[in-house]
This record gives sequence, structure tokens and C-alpha cells, in this order.
Amino acid sequence: MRDVFTEIWESVRRNKLRTSLTGFAVSWGIFMLIVLLGAGNGLQNSFFQGGDRFASNTMQVGGGRTSKPYDGLSEGRRIILDEKDVTLTDGSTFSDHIDQVIATVSTSGTASYGKKSVSVDIEGNYPERQQMEKIELVAGRYVNQKDIQQNRKVIILPQNTAESLLPDNTPATELIGKHIRVGTLSYLVVGITKSDRMRGNNMATAPFTTIKNIYGKGNEIEDITFTFHGLNSQAENTEFEDQYRAAVNLRHRAAPDDRRALWIWNRFTQNLQMNTVSSILEVALWIIGLFTLLGGIVGVSNIMLITVKERTHEFGIRKAIGASPWDITKLILAESVTITAIFGYIGMFLGMVVCQILDKTVGQASMSVMDEKIAMLVNPTVGLDVAIEATVVLIIAGTLAGLFPARKASRVRPIEALRAE
Amino acid sequence: MLLELKDINKTYNNGQPLHVLKGINLSIDKGEFVSIMGASGSGKSTLLNILGILDNYDTGEYYIDGRLIKGLTEKQAADYRNRMIGFIFQSFNLIGFKTAVENVELPLFYQGVNRHRRHELAMQYLDRLGLADWAGHYPNEMSGGQKQRVAIARALITGPKILLADEPTGALDSKTSEEVMQLLGQLNQEEHVTIIVVTHESGVANCTNKIIHIKDGVIGRIEDNRAHQASTFGTSTIMK
Repeated sequence: MRDVFTEIWESVRRNKLRTSLTGFAVSWGIFMLIVLLGAGNGLQNSFFQGGDRFASNTMQVGGGRTSKPYDGLSEGRRIILDEKDVTLTDGSTFSDHIDQVIATVSTSGTASYGKKSVSVDIEGNYPERQQMEKIELVAGRYVNQKDIQQNRKVIILPQNTAESLLPDNTPATELIGKHIRVGTLSYLVVGITKSDRMRGNNMATAPFTTIKNIYGKGNEIEDITFTFHGLNSQAENTEFEDQYRAAVNLRHRAAPDDRRALWIWNRFTQNLQMNTVSSILEVALWIIGLFTLLGGIVGVSNIMLITVKERTHEFGIRKAIGASPWDITKLILAESVTITAIFGYIGMFLGMVVCQILDKTVGQASMSVMDEKIAMLVNPTVGLDVAIEATVVLIIAGTLAGLFPARKASRVRPIEALRAE
Repeated sequence: MLLELKDINKTYNNGQPLHVLKGINLSIDKGEFVSIMGASGSGKSTLLNILGILDNYDTGEYYIDGRLIKGLTEKQAADYRNRMIGFIFQSFNLIGFKTAVENVELPLFYQGVNRHRRHELAMQYLDRLGLADWAGHYPNEMSGGQKQRVAIARALITGPKILLADEPTGALDSKTSEEVMQLLGQLNQEEHVTIIVVTHESGVANCTNKIIHIKDGVIGRIEDNRAHQASTFGTSTIMK
């Protein structure tokens, strides 16, 4: 082994400039690969940052407007869901797939505390919702079963709403245990949630029954959310959605295939699509990176060819004194793999350094969209798996680069050695 | 017989077929010091290539120490060359970026001998040829004679059955040529190394004990030259 490296070192030492220029191409290729993959990871992480907070197998359903006439009724009619839709959803028709069903009602009003007031949307919810949407509490608690049974007038406020009701620089948690007024009624603040306007649920939460009894219009509800199981592909989900839509639409005398009459937000298929998009992105980045690397490999191959040409006489001598073709092949392959691996590692290391720099700079920066901070790149780094994959790629690349020149070298005829130069 | 060639024929097919060796029959015994002489184009280089297992022949049989050398794979040929034949070339053919001792070690490297043993043996051989002080020098720091002695050390290190010298004095001045030929003679006499020298110089051939003349691809006269009287120029020194 040591002999092989001595030979490689001797060869490299004689051609420092040539070797380093070629090495640079390899370094650059793997550097680009790592930086691209790192940035891609950052992009993906920021995609998924919101998504993974939901239970992924939920659907939310709400009423829309009919888009076609049906059953003697004209288009453009509003569909309002009611408790019978909840019964239908929860009933035996869909029990093969649907597990837990909850409904929401909502109202809006002006909340005030002391001298300050702010307008709020209040959603009447069941305790199960916290689990389904992975609602994060900053302090206090969510709606519980007793709130529902006793129609308690309790309220959970988003952090920013709570803060705007308090004097400046007072933490939102100060409000827990205090009573605020909403319209003419008084509510006890029991919890503070993280504010997150992007997700559109920057709403205050109160028990479902409380809101329904005070503000409700008969059996009307805002939307239905349910968890489901056994729908694993896009096709299965679409089929289920069509069946479900048809059932609900017919109850409201809308065309069974009217997609606008009932909107369905399926988080599972949405994640599925996002996964597809992100894996396509990853494949694309690998391809771009590998093609950049290919340039380096061609460079190495080219240099090795020149080396072989230059060393023809030497290989002839070696063969005359007993080197087998494999001995010569080994020499060239080892040199090619070593050059590729060493310079590749330099590139990989630099790429990882740049990823870390990205993480510390762009990764910390964020865009402001609708009052919400969105990170552009979240943790734009590559993991150990990519480092290992890249190592394998480098070794394969080095072998490929050396293969053709090595074959050429091994075919040098020993008679070459006898020819005087 | 150490070497035996029976009706060796060789034709090159580069465009027009060229029949270079036309039925060579030759035997060389263990411990002989022979020269093969011939003008350029006589086929002596081709014969040397065949003797050295560097090239194939078309028909006939070639035995080294009773072993038929025919239809070998490249790997086998390399192994036979390594173990049975020591080469000395006109242009020395030392590897320029290796020191004298590294050059001498190289055949043992291909035998898989470990580094320490290799180095030890190489130093021994260099010492025998009076080059121990030059072990760490590169070929371009040495004179022609020194280089050829390094090459001889490299050829001897594997303990080959035959030493094949292709115009060993071709690149040397007359004084050094004589020294090299004396060295070869000494090796033959004292250590009974079988040596075949290919040359076109009669002075060089005169230093050997037997001169085989080759002409137009056939063996001509075989001279017994133990008295070293073959060349009128060879009596005092090698003429250049």
C-alpha cells in the first residue's frame, strides 16, 4: 500500500501545476454538488416547516358556492354546512375511513381589556382540535371537555392579540386568569397560543358549545374537520373525496360533482404533492451537481491520458522487468482515484463550510409576509448520508476517470523499452 | 541445455509481410558467454525480443531450462521475465524519478518482496558493483558507466537464469565500454552467469567466448572465441 502511494506521490510531484488544475475541476464539481444539495435541503426544510405541524391525515371541509345549476336550482347558491353534515360524516357511510370528526363555528367581535381593545375572530372548537392541528400553546391550556359540557365562557387568545390588549412590553401570559370583554360578554382567558397568521388560524378559540349557543344560527356550522385512515395514494384519496363530496352535495341539492359547492382541504395529499415536488427538486440538484462533477472527471481522465502517453517508455521498462498488466493498471487507477478523492474531499469540505456560512447568514434571515416571518432557508446543510454518498460518487468517478487511461497503459508493449529514445 | 530454439520463424505483417527469422536453431548452455552479431536488419533484435519473452514467435519451439515458452498470457510472460531474465539495455532504461537503489529494487517489488528485504538486497548488489555511495542518487546525476552498472545490478537482483544485454556499450565511450564488458566477463567467470550480448560491434563480440553470426534471419557461422582473437581491433581495446 505504501509503495503504491510512494509511486503516486512521485508522479504527482513531477506535475504539480497540472495536477492541481485538474484537481480544482474535481473540487469545484463536488463543491457545487454539496452547496446545491445544502441549499436544496434548506429550501425543503422551509417548505415543510409549516406542514409537519399538522396531523397529516386530516381533511377539512367547508361550504362554498354552487358552480352549476342542479335539481331546479340555479348556480351561485351558497352552501352552508350544518349539524346533519357532521352526522353524515361521522355516520356509517364513511366509517371505513373516517375516524374522528369535529366541527367548528365562528363569530367575530371586539375584545377589550382595560382601555385597550382589538377586533377578534373567535372559533368555537372541540378539545380534539388541538391534537389534530398540533396547536402549540405558549401558556395555559386549550378547550377541555368540561368547557364544552358547561358552556363555559373561556377563551384562548393568540399571542399577538393578547399582547395588543396589554400595555407595551408586557408578556402575553400576564393575561391568563384575567377576564376580557368580547362585545357585551366577559370571557376568562385560560390559554395563549402561538400566533401564526400564515396558517390562517390566528383566531381566538372558545368552546364549541359556548359559541354555538350564544352566536349560532340554528344548526349551521363553519366547517368540519376529520381524521381518516386507509387512503394511501393520490388515487384513493381522490376517489374518496369524490364520494364524500357527492354525498354532502346531494344533501344540499347541489350537483354531486360540483367541486365549488364544497371545498375539501386534504392535508395528506397536499403533503404527498409536496413530497413529490421536493424529491423532484432533489433529483434535479443531484443531476446538476453530477454534471458539474463530470467536467472534473473528464479533466482527470484527460490528464491521466497525457500521463500515460508521457510514461509509455517507463511502463515498457516496468513490464520488461516483470510488471504484469494489472500492476500497471493498478498504478494509474490508484493515481486517478487518489487525485479525485483528495481534491474531492477538499471541495466537499469547502462546500460544507459554505453551507454552514449560508446557515449562519441567509438561514437566519427571513422574509416578512403578512406580518409573519418566513425563513428562506432552514438549516441549509447536508447530512452524513450525503457526505457518504458523495464519497462513493468520488471513488466511482475516480475509477471511471482512470479506467480508459489505465487500459491504455496496461497495453503498452514491453518492446517499447528496448527502443532507444 | 539452458536455452533451446527449434526452427523459430517470425513474420511481421505490417502491410507487406516481412519474414524476419527464417528457422532459427540455437542452443546455449548454462554458464556460456555468447554474443549474437549481425548488421541492422539481420533479425538480431527480433531474436533478442523472443529470447527475452518480449515478443511472440510464429512457429517453432523455444525452451528455457526445459520449459516451453509459447502462448503465454501477458501475466505469465511478465512473471517469467521477472524471474528468469535480466535485461541490460543500450540506453540503460533506468526510471528517471527513482534513485539508483529504487531502480535496483524494482524487480523485487513486482515479486512482492517486502520493502526492507528489497532495500537490503539492492544495497548488496550496488555495493558489489562499487556503487554503494551512489545509492541515493538519481540517474541524471550519474555517468553513463555508473548508470549501466546500476542497470546490471537491477538485472542481477532476481538471480536470473540468463542475462540479456542489448548493445550494452552502445551509449558508452570506449574506455567505459571495456569496463562494462570486463564486468560482464567477470560475472560470467566468477559467478557462472549465462550472458547473451547482442551487438553489431566486433570489438564487443570479441570479449565473449562464442560469437553467433546472424544474417538475413538465419544463423550463419558460430565462432569459438575463447582465445578472444576474432577481431583484429579487439586485441587491445574496443574500437569506437
